[in-house]
Amino acid sequence: MDNRQRIVITGIGPISSVGIGRENFWQGILKKKINVELEECYLDGELWDKFYYHKVKDFDINNFGIKKAKLAAIRDWKQGEEIIDLNYLIAAVKLALDDSGLDYNNDDNGIGLVLAHENLGLMPFGFKVSDLAYEMLIDKKKTEVSKKDFYDGFYKKFLKSGYDVQTFADLFHVARVFNIHEYSLFINNACASGLYALETASQIIRSKQAKRAVVAASDHPDIYKYLWFRDLGIYAKDGIVKPFAKNSNGLVFGAGGAGMVLETLEDAQKRGATIYAEYLGGGYDLEGWKITVPQIGSNSYQKAMTNALKRSNLKPEDIDLVCPHGVGSGPIDYYESKAIAEVFSETDPRPLITTFKPYVGHNLGSTALLESAILLLALQNNIIPETLNCEEVNSRFDITLVQKQTKKKLKTVMKSCCAFAGFNAAVTFQKV
Amino acid sequence: MLDEVIKDLEVELKELIADVSGREVDEITTQASFFEDLGIDSIKAIEITVAIEKKYKIRVKDEQVAEITNVAKAIEVVKDALAKKE
Repeated sequence: MDNRQRIVITGIGPISSVGIGRENFWQGILKKKINVELEECYLDGELWDKFYYHKVKDFDINNFGIKKAKLAAIRDWKQGEEIIDLNYLIAAVKLALDDSGLDYNNDDNGIGLVLAHENLGLMPFGFKVSDLAYEMLIDKKKTEVSKKDFYDGFYKKFLKSGYDVQTFADLFHVARVFNIHEYSLFINNACASGLYALETASQIIRSKQAKRAVVAASDHPDIYKYLWFRDLGIYAKDGIVKPFAKNSNGLVFGAGGAGMVLETLEDAQKRGATIYAEYLGGGYDLEGWKITVPQIGSNSYQKAMTNALKRSNLKPEDIDLVCPHGVGSGPIDYYESKAIAEVFSETDPRPLITTFKPYVGHNLGSTALLESAILLLALQNNIIPETLNCEEVNSRFDITLVQKQTKKKLKTVMKSCCAFAGFNAAVTFQKV
Repeated sequence: MLDEVIKDLEVELKELIADVSGREVDEITTQASFFEDLGIDSIKAIEITVAIEKKYKIRVKDEQVAEITNVAKAIEVVKDALAKKE
């Protein structure tokens, strides 16, 4: 591992409710083109449930200039089924690679691949299983179905979809579209996946497993996910996420994803690429307490942030701006505010803090990467998008948020995330 | 062994909750709601769970964290976990 290699980001490919592609996306953030829509789920004409989420407008995988035959091969494998999350991944990789200016048309492109998602294919699979089970149960021609017949009929119909839930096939599909043959990996560390993926990509390059790497993550809201979060009591039914606010009432999903291209500073400079920032390093800590509840009182998140600073050779006072998870759920917001306050306790003034979920929603497995994309563009443009929807910070939280879009010369920024299952992570980026 | 441990459970839990929440022990009746009667919010409720796990060396399930909304519920969860330990 050559730790002296400086890793930089040279391509950004976002897909979100505020816009598709780097420039549209950034303008969407600056102009606050928020698009929250009500999703209603019907079963045989009967309303099952409804929820708000940040919806991507006008997304069509056929509009990204990807070879039709390659997309057709994926559809063929999926038996005609379109998996929107997979399409987001493919589009995010395409946008990021195009943005980087790298040529990926040949098999010797030297590109590695890291994909991240919390549950790729699981929701369509869940629907398929539910549909099949329901069909078999109401089959009036059969007065009796033996357990063996039921299981056998079931197995044959969903085997292929079930196989795809294991995600290696999706890694294969995405790699194939872009002629990627170097080291590849699928990552799932819940909401922190994007930050784990960035560190992984940097290690792939530093260990010379690939000359450069593309990272992509995505998510698409489904009713099954909504029902789970609703039952946990952390979904905002009004569709308005209010990070760190006195009146916060939960998270709101956001569709889409993001891609990023990483390579060495030397390579990027040699080919005259646009460099958004250097990826300095990441810190990670696995709390190991509960899946769905943060261990208030632990110092796991503080450790992740402190480790990120150490690995980046930074001191707390070097950080100009922090973008935490900011989900808008009281206990999680408190957990984050406490960690940030402790890590930066001796920093005067403290770094500025802002959050992005009110713009793009909670993109689950892709949230940290998508918000890192916003942070990188903020860094590049020296503009800090303010935290929306937080009129009054909860008085229990020791945190001050950027409340107004601010122009400020930025040099070093931190993205942090405290995810389900206690995956706590933080990474830092610095202008080159 | 288990009977001995749970004998003073109610008293112990009231003291623990008073300690974490900053309320007086006398205010914490067995059925008093954390949220409606005692002003304990979801953040303090998690801190109470952390303290309970530490004191009794038990593991409270994820879904039980939100269920601990009064002393009676806390007793139930602790008894259940202690029984499983036995």
